[in-house]
Amino acid sequence: MTTVPVPAPELTVGRQGHYAGAVSRLVAFGTDVGASWGAYAVGVALLNLAVKLVTGHSYNLSNHRILAFVTLSVWEFVYFSYQWAVSGKTLGMAIFGLQVVTKEGGPISGRQAFIRTIALGLCLLTLGIAFLGIVFQRERRALNDFMAGTAVVYDWDARAARLRWMARKEGPLRHGPEHTTPAA
Amino acid sequence: MTPNPIGSKVEQLAQALAERIVPLIVDAIDVDALIDKVDVEKIIERVDVEKVIDRVDVEKIIDRVDVQKIIDRVDINAIVDKIDIDSLVEHTELGSIIARSTTGIFTEILDVIRAQGVGLDDFILRWGNRLIGRGKRMANWPDGPPLLVEPKVAQ
Repeated sequence: MTTVPVPAPELTVGRQGHYAGAVSRLVAFGTDVGASWGAYAVGVALLNLAVKLVTGHSYNLSNHRILAFVTLSVWEFVYFSYQWAVSGKTLGMAIFGLQVVTKEGGPISGRQAFIRTIALGLCLLTLGIAFLGIVFQRERRALNDFMAGTAVVYDWDARAARLRWMARKEGPLRHGPEHTTPAA
Repeated sequence: MTPNPIGSKVEQLAQALAERIVPLIVDAIDVDALIDKVDVEKIIERVDVEKVIDRVDVEKIIDRVDVQKIIDRVDINAIVDKIDIDSLVEHTELGSIIARSTTGIFTEILDVIRAQGVGLDDFILRWGNRLIGRGKRMANWPDGPPLLVEPKVAQ
C-alpha cells in the first residue's frame, strides 16, 4: 500500500477557487502542448497513410512547411478554444485541477475562449514576458487573461482528495494531531 | 275520548312563541364576547390528560391502521424526484464516502502532484514578490475571484 504523506490542509482543502499559480499553470500548459502535438502527429501520420493508400504515391505533410504550419496552428487553436468554450478547462488543466473563469469567477463564454486562445498565441511571441503577471499581478492574471477578461483558479476536489489521504491509514500522517485517526 | 281543544291551542301558541323568541335571543347573544370570557387555560388545567390517555387503547388504534395501504398510497418516485441529490452529496459525508470508495492509484498520484503544484505555486509567488520588495503588500491581495472566494477583510 501507499506511503504517501498527508499534505497540509492549506495546500488542499482551502484552496478551491483560489487563483492558480505559475507552476501548476506551466505544467498544465506543457501537458496540453504535448497532448495536442501528439494528436497532431498521429493525425498527420494517418493522413499520409491515407493519401498513400488512395493515390499510391508517398506523401508527407511535413515537406510542405507552410501548409504544415497553418494546419498545426489551426489545430492548436481548435484544441484550446474548443475545450475552454465547452468546459473552461483543457485536458492538461483538468489533470492538474485548474479552471478558466471570468475575472469575477463565473463560467467563461465562447467569445472569451476565442479571444483567450488568440491572445495566448500573441503572448507566446513575447517569449514569456506576457506571463509574468501570473507571479507579479495581484490576481495572478497573464496578458491573455486581461485581454479575455478571465482568470485561472484551482478547481480540483481537494476536500475529497484530503479524505482519500485520510482514508489511507498506511501512510505516515505527519502533519499534526488533526490528521491522525482517533482511537476507537 | 276526545282531545282537549284548549290544551291543543295552548300548545300551538307556545310553539309559535318559541319559534319567534328563540332566534331573537340567539341573535342578541354576542358569542365572541362569551368565548372571550371563557378561561380556556383553566379548563385545560382541570382536564386530567393522563387519565384520558390511560383510557385510550393505543394498541387497538395501531392494529386498526393498515400500514400497507398507506405505503401503497405514497408515491415513492415522486418523493425521490424531489430529493436534491447534488445538495445531499454536497452537504453530507456521502460525497466523501463515494470518493473514498472510488479511489485508485492514478487518483492517488494525481492528488500528490496537484498538492505539490500548489506548494510550488506558493513558493514561486512568495519569493518572486519578495525579490522585488513586494512581500508585505501581497498580504492584501485577493485569494480568488469575488464569486468564488470571500474578499479579505481589511485589517
